[in-house]
Amino acid sequence: MKGIIALMTGFGLICALFPIRGGMAAEPNTIEEYFFKANQAYGEGRFQEAISDYHRVIENGQRNGHLYYNLANAYFREKDLGRAVLFYERARLFIPRDGDLNFNLRYALEQTRDALAEPQDFLGQTFFWLNGLTLEEVMRVFIALNILFWGVLVLRLFVRPEWTYYTFLLIFVLWLIGGLSFGAKWYQIETDNRCVILPAEVAVHAGPQEGDTVLFKLHQGAMVHGERAEDGWTLVRLPDKKRGWLENTAIERIIPR
Amino acid sequence: MRMSVLFRQRHMMLLLFFFFWVPTAANADVSVTLKLDRSEATLADTVGMVVSVTGTQQTSGPPTLQGVELFHVTSGGTSSRVEVINGNVNASLDYTYTLQTQHTGAFKVGPALVTVAGKTYASNTVRLLVTKPAQTDGTDRGPLFLTAELTKKNIVVEEQTVYILKLHRRVNVRELSLTLPEMEYLTFTRLGNPRKYRSGHNGRPYEVLEVRYALVPSKEGVYALEPARMNMTLLQSGGLFDDSFFSLGRGKPVGVASESLELAVSPLPEAGGAAGFSGLVGQFEMASTLQPPEVKAGESSTLTVRVKGRGNINLVPDMNLPALDRIKVYADQPLLEVQPDDEGIAGEKTMKWALVPEKEGRMEIPSLVLTFFDTDTRTYRTLKTPFHELSVLPGEGTTDKAEGDGETGMVSGTEKEEVAQIGRDILPVHTAMKDFLKPNRLRPQGWAFWALLLIPCLVYLGAFGLQRLRRQAFVARTESRAKRAAKDFRKKCRREDLSSSDLILFIRDYINDRFGLSLGALTPDEAAEILETGGATEDSVEKMREVLQKLEDAVYTGNGLRPCEDEGEIGGLILRLDKEIR
Repeated sequence: MKGIIALMTGFGLICALFPIRGGMAAEPNTIEEYFFKANQAYGEGRFQEAISDYHRVIENGQRNGHLYYNLANAYFREKDLGRAVLFYERARLFIPRDGDLNFNLRYALEQTRDALAEPQDFLGQTFFWLNGLTLEEVMRVFIALNILFWGVLVLRLFVRPEWTYYTFLLIFVLWLIGGLSFGAKWYQIETDNRCVILPAEVAVHAGPQEGDTVLFKLHQGAMVHGERAEDGWTLVRLPDKKRGWLENTAIERIIPR
Repeated sequence: MRMSVLFRQRHMMLLLFFFFWVPTAANADVSVTLKLDRSEATLADTVGMVVSVTGTQQTSGPPTLQGVELFHVTSGGTSSRVEVINGNVNASLDYTYTLQTQHTGAFKVGPALVTVAGKTYASNTVRLLVTKPAQTDGTDRGPLFLTAELTKKNIVVEEQTVYILKLHRRVNVRELSLTLPEMEYLTFTRLGNPRKYRSGHNGRPYEVLEVRYALVPSKEGVYALEPARMNMTLLQSGGLFDDSFFSLGRGKPVGVASESLELAVSPLPEAGGAAGFSGLVGQFEMASTLQPPEVKAGESSTLTVRVKGRGNINLVPDMNLPALDRIKVYADQPLLEVQPDDEGIAGEKTMKWALVPEKEGRMEIPSLVLTFFDTDTRTYRTLKTPFHELSVLPGEGTTDKAEGDGETGMVSGTEKEEVAQIGRDILPVHTAMKDFLKPNRLRPQGWAFWALLLIPCLVYLGAFGLQRLRRQAFVARTESRAKRAAKDFRKKCRREDLSSSDLILFIRDYINDRFGLSLGALTPDEAAEILETGGATEDSVEKMREVLQKLEDAVYTGNGLRPCEDEGEIGGLILRLDKEIR
């Protein structure tokens, strides 16, 4: 009996020190396998299969710019321009400077039917460098500058040669620019309400009812701003200020809420 | 474990190497240099002097100074340096002194003699000109004032004079801005960076900031120079961050103006006979070379003419070489280098010509002529380059032509054409697993982000608080030292056979303790000023100045180690001062 108790205690200790993480060890392999399988299916022209495998990887919690890019490619091959644009845009949030992605997105947007030119807003114009950076990159730069800024201030508490003053001034300016950029990028992400039209053609109504007047029509791949949602309908705004209501199923947000 | 032992061993080796190698390597090439912080001073000034011994840090005692017999010399301590550059160790030792001028005249300061390992090394000597201080009306001009002076007040058109502005201050200032007098036909050019040094005015010591400008008039006449104005912010200490950056709003704006000056500018004398005068005024010299002096026909030789001097060097004309028979001349772009120094604008202009002779023979290159007005002799002078002779040997016939187009010599290439777009498609999927496995996050998440953002600020606030506490503790310590200063002095003086050197040190310690200072060396004047500021009576201050002067004289005349007999009198004086000081 004592032996069994000792054995159980020992087993308990081992469990406490080296906890078994249910399924965690096997999961990455599965995700990698799905990704590999999806790429293979894409290469062999089985685009539907590739789409379903890419989605399975996403459902497993993997968020990656390259994954969204591949998924967008598969949708493009399947002639689903709406979802292709949607996932290219989603990929751009993570890998904004990827040459392949920017080429394919530009090409996909050229295929769309509606002429909707998005003017650059004030933040985009002022902080023009943010378009090529992710929020995480801006954050890393800001954290580095933040450490430098306070570090120089601490240094100046103890020693004050002239160079530290000019270093401090320089870092202060960079810290300010870094902080504002970080804030601006975060604001851009948080207020990004762009949506992509998914069906080949969709009617935009004056109100959130099927019977309401049709104001204009949009086609797949067109990008609009979703203002608010009511009873399965979303009020959208076009870059030229036209507004109207669309069924939720006809659009998808680039940054899901 | 093994790695860390190896690491430690390497460090030990490095340290041993450093300690044993530095003195041996450093003794290899010993040299002594003597430098003064300026070459001109007045009787009211102190001049900084540094004797640098490079190549060693082990000398047999301090340097023996020559040529300083007519100055009061005060030691300002020593500092040593070791630099390792590209594996070469350079050790040096600096002895700092302060020279108090006592007589006017031109002095040769130095050499300083230093003995290293039994061998004596002598430094260079430096010329120091001591003049009487400018006449003052005896009134105290306060802690901040600006003076202006001209090195020459009667000049000719285009001659330069140096306009010297000196900001005397006994207070802390920042954000200085200078407004120079604006006059038509007068050009100001700044000469180097502003210089800082200590000087005296009406018997009071000042920090001086000196700025020099070359002033060049372009028209004759008598110019009344308006006062130059300097605006600045008078600093007030304190505040949360106690940093000049954060105390931007805590200064008091003040402005000071210099005196007005008069400058008489005469016209240049008639240039009769001085052909080719281009307006050049100053002192100049001209030299020329022809390299190589012997070439083959078809090859080139370079004629270089250099005009060097002090004055309006920018008016040196671009000279023209006359057309030469059977020589092709290709002029290079002239190069003008302006080098302003303390005495004004100086510089050099270099002109070059490539000379390509077409046939063999001996060819003469004519002289080039430059006329200028010499400000020393007040006459026009003409400079001439010497004649050069170019020996030309027979050429080697025609050179080989490059392959290609017979007429132009251009190598023909393949005709270029626009790249035609045949088809369009998207680019392929990304299959690299390393890209796929890289985690991407849209928004900053987790405690690490907030920690990295806030910890540096908290560290700063902690350090700031700590420093405040240390400062408060320091103030308390200083106050306690001040209360005990006289008692400590008396305790030290109980020793028998006190020498003058000991007493100077004890008085310095007393003043440091009493006023919370940490001065390494103290001149009698500095001690007097500190005591006067502290509230001591004029009589006691003068008495202390005399005592210190007497002790210093004893030290510098070689009697510093002899027992001093005035110890009782000094003790009484210190007690008196201690009561008088607030």
